Amino acid sequence: METCFDVKNIDLFYGDKQALKDVNMEIYKNRVTAFIGPSGCGKSTFIRCLNRMNDLIEGCKVSGEIIKDGLDIYSPKQDIVDLRTRVGMVFQKPNPFPMSIYDNIAYGPRCQGLKDKKKLDEIVTTSLKQVALYDEVADRLGDSAIGLSGGQQQRLCIARCIAMSPEVILMDEPTSALDPISTSKIEDLCLELKKDYTIVIVTHNMQQAARISDYTAFFLLGEVVEMDETDTIFSHPKDKRTENYITGRFG
Amino acid sequence: MLIDKKRVKRNKALDKFFRGFFMAMAILSSSFIVIIVLFVCAKGISPFLPGYEYGQVDLISFLTGSIYRQDQGIYGVGFIIINTLISAFLALVISFPLSVLTALFIAKIAPKKLSAAMQSVVELLAAVPSVVYGVFASGVITGVVEWIASLFGITTFGGSSLLAVVLLLAIMIFPTLTSMSITAIRAVDPNLEQASLALGATKTQTNFKICLTAAKSGIFAGAILGLGRAYGEATAVAMVAGNKLFGPTFNPFDITRTLTSTMLAGLKETTGLDYDIRFSVGLVLIVVIFFSNWILNMVKKRIGRNSVA
Amino acid sequence: MNRLVKDNILKGITYIASALSVIVLAAILWYLVSNGLSLISSDLIVGDYYATTENAAISNDYIYDESAIGEYTGEGYYSAKWGIALEDITTAHNDEEISVVYVDPNSPFMHMNSLVSGEDGMALSLTEGSSIQNIYYLDEAGETVFLSRVKMADAQNTIAVLDANATGIVSINYESIGGGIRGSIFATLYLIGISLLISLPIGISSAIYLHEYASKNKINSLIRQGIDTLTGVPSIVYGLMGVTVLFPVTQLAGATSTSILLGGLTLAIMLLPTIIRSTEEALIVVPQSLRDGSLSLGATKSQTIFKVVLPCAVNGILTGVLLGIGRVIGESAALVYTTSTVINDNPTILSQGTSLSLMIWSIMSGEQPNYELASAISLIILVIVFAINFIVKIIGKRLAKSFV
Repeated sequence: METCFDVKNIDLFYGDKQALKDVNMEIYKNRVTAFIGPSGCGKSTFIRCLNRMNDLIEGCKVSGEIIKDGLDIYSPKQDIVDLRTRVGMVFQKPNPFPMSIYDNIAYGPRCQGLKDKKKLDEIVTTSLKQVALYDEVADRLGDSAIGLSGGQQQRLCIARCIAMSPEVILMDEPTSALDPISTSKIEDLCLELKKDYTIVIVTHNMQQAARISDYTAFFLLGEVVEMDETDTIFSHPKDKRTENYITGRFG
Repeated sequence: MLIDKKRVKRNKALDKFFRGFFMAMAILSSSFIVIIVLFVCAKGISPFLPGYEYGQVDLISFLTGSIYRQDQGIYGVGFIIINTLISAFLALVISFPLSVLTALFIAKIAPKKLSAAMQSVVELLAAVPSVVYGVFASGVITGVVEWIASLFGITTFGGSSLLAVVLLLAIMIFPTLTSMSITAIRAVDPNLEQASLALGATKTQTNFKICLTAAKSGIFAGAILGLGRAYGEATAVAMVAGNKLFGPTFNPFDITRTLTSTMLAGLKETTGLDYDIRFSVGLVLIVVIFFSNWILNMVKKRIGRNSVA
Repeated sequence: MNRLVKDNILKGITYIASALSVIVLAAILWYLVSNGLSLISSDLIVGDYYATTENAAISNDYIYDESAIGEYTGEGYYSAKWGIALEDITTAHNDEEISVVYVDPNSPFMHMNSLVSGEDGMALSLTEGSSIQNIYYLDEAGETVFLSRVKMADAQNTIAVLDANATGIVSINYESIGGGIRGSIFATLYLIGISLLISLPIGISSAIYLHEYASKNKINSLIRQGIDTLTGVPSIVYGLMGVTVLFPVTQLAGATSTSILLGGLTLAIMLLPTIIRSTEEALIVVPQSLRDGSLSLGATKSQTIFKVVLPCAVNGILTGVLLGIGRVIGESAALVYTTSTVINDNPTILSQGTSLSLMIWSIMSGEQPNYELASAISLIILVIVFAINFIVKIIGKRLAKSFV
C-alpha cells in the first residue's frame, strides 16, 4: 500500500494553547481514513493541517513534518496553492459561492487559468456526474447554487473539489448539517470516490466511520489515542479510552 | 493535473502584487492625517517665524490678543478661542440632556413603531448638510433670538448672536449625541435590567437608574464626538456669528466670532498675511480639538470605571 | 402611588425631549418649503445664475411673413402678428419684469444677430423666460421708433403697441433671467465623479488590507488609528490641507487657480473613512467558509478576494458610494478654500465653481442674502440626501439578511 501522507510529530498551538500533541500517522492512498473523537479533540484542526488551511488562522503555529510525495508540506519549498490544488477539501457546512452552479464548479480550473469553454464544459459535466448530481441539475446549470437543497449543495461542493482532479479529498464532517437521506447519498459517494481518490473524513458519527472507512484514528484532547484498521478499532480496541468512547460511555 | 506552471507563477506574482498594493493603499489612507497635520502646521507657523515675507507676527500677542481686525492687520485669537469653547460647551449643555432623554425614549420607552419613527427623525437630522442648517439658522433661529431679545428690551444685530450660534450648534450636534447614546443604551446587559426589576424597581426606574448609569461611558463618548463637531462646524456658524472684532463675548445677544467663522470671513486673496494667518487659526482649531478630546477622554476613563458600555 | 406619578413624569419628559427634535425637523422643512418651493421650476434647474443682457437685431436674411406665424393658446398676452407671448412677473430680486413665455418658430425674434461688440453678429433667438428691456420697431411711415421699458409699461400694453403700430422689428434688448443653478449642478456632479473616482479604489483597497490581510500588530493598529482619526478632522481643515498639499497636484493637470479638480481631490480624502468603514462592514458579513472554500480549491488570496469576497460585499460598497455622494452634495466648508466661492455657470474641471451647497454659502454670505434661492437649493439638496438615506437603509436591511 502506498503512503499518501506521512505525519511525524505534529504539534500545533493556537497562541499559548496547544491543540495537537505529537500526532503521528500514515494515511494510505485510495483508502478512506476516518478521524473520530469528541468535539474539541483536535480532529478538525488536524485535517486542516493536511492542506494547510490552518495558515489562515492568526496565531497558529505548527511544528513537525507532514511528508507528501517526499516533501514536507510545511517546508518553505512547498507551494501552498499547488498543495491545495492537489489536496481538496469539503467543509462542514455546504459553502457554495453565490454564483451559478456552472461557475461554482468551473471556479477552481478558471483560477488556474483555464479558459477553454469546451474543456470547462467537460469538467463541469464529468464532475457533476461523478457526484450523481448531473441529472438533478443538468437543465439549470446557470441557476444560482444558493437555490439548491443542503444535500445538493454539499454534493456540489464535492463536485467543485473533484473538478480540480485532486489526489486527496479532505472532508470535515461533511454530513453534520444534512438530513439522513442526503447523508447516505454522500456516504455512498465516498465509497464510490475512493477508487480514484484518497479520502480523509472527520466525523462525529461512529456508525458513519464504521460504514465507510478503511482506517480509523481516535482523537482525544489533541492526541491520537489509537489508529488502526476500522474493523479492529471497532471490534478490538487496544486502548481503554477508545473502548469507552466507542461503547458510548462519553462523547 | 490541471496545473499550468507558468500560470501558477503569474498568479503568485499577481497575488504578491495585490498584497503590496492593498497595503500601500492602506498606508496611504492613514498617512493623510499626518499630511494634514504637518502641512497645516508648517503653513500655520510660518507667519510667526523671523523672515516671514509679509512681516513677522508675534506669537504671544496672536495667542492672547483680544482684537482681530484684518483691515488693520491686527490678529489676536485669544478671545476667539474662548468664544469657540463657550459656544461649543453651551451647545453641549443644551443638547446633552435632550439627546440622552431622546435616546432613552427611542431605545427603551417608546412603543416599537414610534421608536422606529423617532429613529428615522434623528437619522434625517443627521443627514441635513450643515449649510442647510445655516440657512435655517439665519432664517428662523435669528428670528427667535430677536424675539427673545425684544422681551428683554434688547436690540440685536438682526439676530446674529452668541445665542443663535449656541442654539444652532445644539441642534447640529443633537443627532450625533443621540445616536451614540442609543447605541450605548442598547448595549447594556439585559441581565442588569432584569436584576433591577427583580429587586422591585419599576421599568422607568430601571431605565433611568440602571441603563443610563451603565451606558454612561458610551454616552460620554458621544458627547466628546459632538463637542468635536461643534468646534469644527464652519459654514453654518459663520452665517449667524456676526464676526465681532474684539471680545470675548459673554452676552448671549451680542455677536461673536469663532475660530471657524474667522477662517471663513472675508476670504478674498489667496496670498499674503491675511490668507496665511487663517492656517494659523486652523492650527489653533486642531490644537483646541486635540486638547479638549484629550482632557475629556481622561475624564471618560474616570467615570467609565464602573460602566459596561 | 407616589412612585407611579414619578415614573409617569419621567416618562413624560422623554416624550417632550423627543418631540423637540421632531419640531426642529418640521421647522426646517416648513421654513425651506414656504420660502423655496415656489422657486423650484425647470428654469431654476437649467438656468444660468448670472443674468446676461443681449442686444440683437433681426437678421438681414429674415423675410417677415405674417401668415407663417402660428396660433398660441397658452398663458400670457400673445401677438399673432409677431409670434410672441408676454407676461408680467416678479423676479427673485423683487423686480417687475415683462417676461417672454412663448416665441413662434417663424417669429422675427427667432432670427436675430447679436449687436454686442465682440460677438461678431452671433445668431441669437429670444428664449422663453427672458425679460424684455426695450424694442426698436418700424412704424407705418417706416421710421424707427424706440419703445423703452417705461413706455412698454406691462405685457398687455407692449403687445397692444406692437400689434397696432409696428410694421417691422428692428432690434431688441433683453435679459435672460438668471438665478439658475445649472452650473452648480454640473460642478456638484464633477465633484462627485472626481472624489469617488479617487477615493473608491484607495478606500476599498485599504478596507481589504485591514480586514483580509492585516494581522494584529503595532503597525496595523497604527494604520487603523490614522484612518479613524481622519473622521474627527473638521471639514474646514480638509480645505486648508487641500489648498496646500493638493494644489501642486492639480497644477500638474494644468490648473492655474483653485479648481473643481482640487475640491474633488480634497473631498476624496474626506470620503476615505466613510468608504473604508462601509466596505469593511460588508467584508465582515461575508462568511469565512466562502473564503476557505475558495482557498481550498487552490485559488490565491487575491483571486479569492476579487472573485468571491468582493462580489459578496458589493452592497456594502454601494452603501459607501451613496453615503459618499451625500457627503459631497452637503459639503461646503472644505470647498470654500479649494473650489472658491465664485458661482460659475459653465464650470469645467479645471475652472473655479461652486457646488450646490457652496452656492448656498456664496449667496448667503454676500451683501444681500437671497433667502428664497438658498431655501430652494436647500430643499433640492435635502430631497436628494433624504432619498440617499432611505436607499442606504434598505440596502442595510438586505445586507443583514443576505448570508443568514
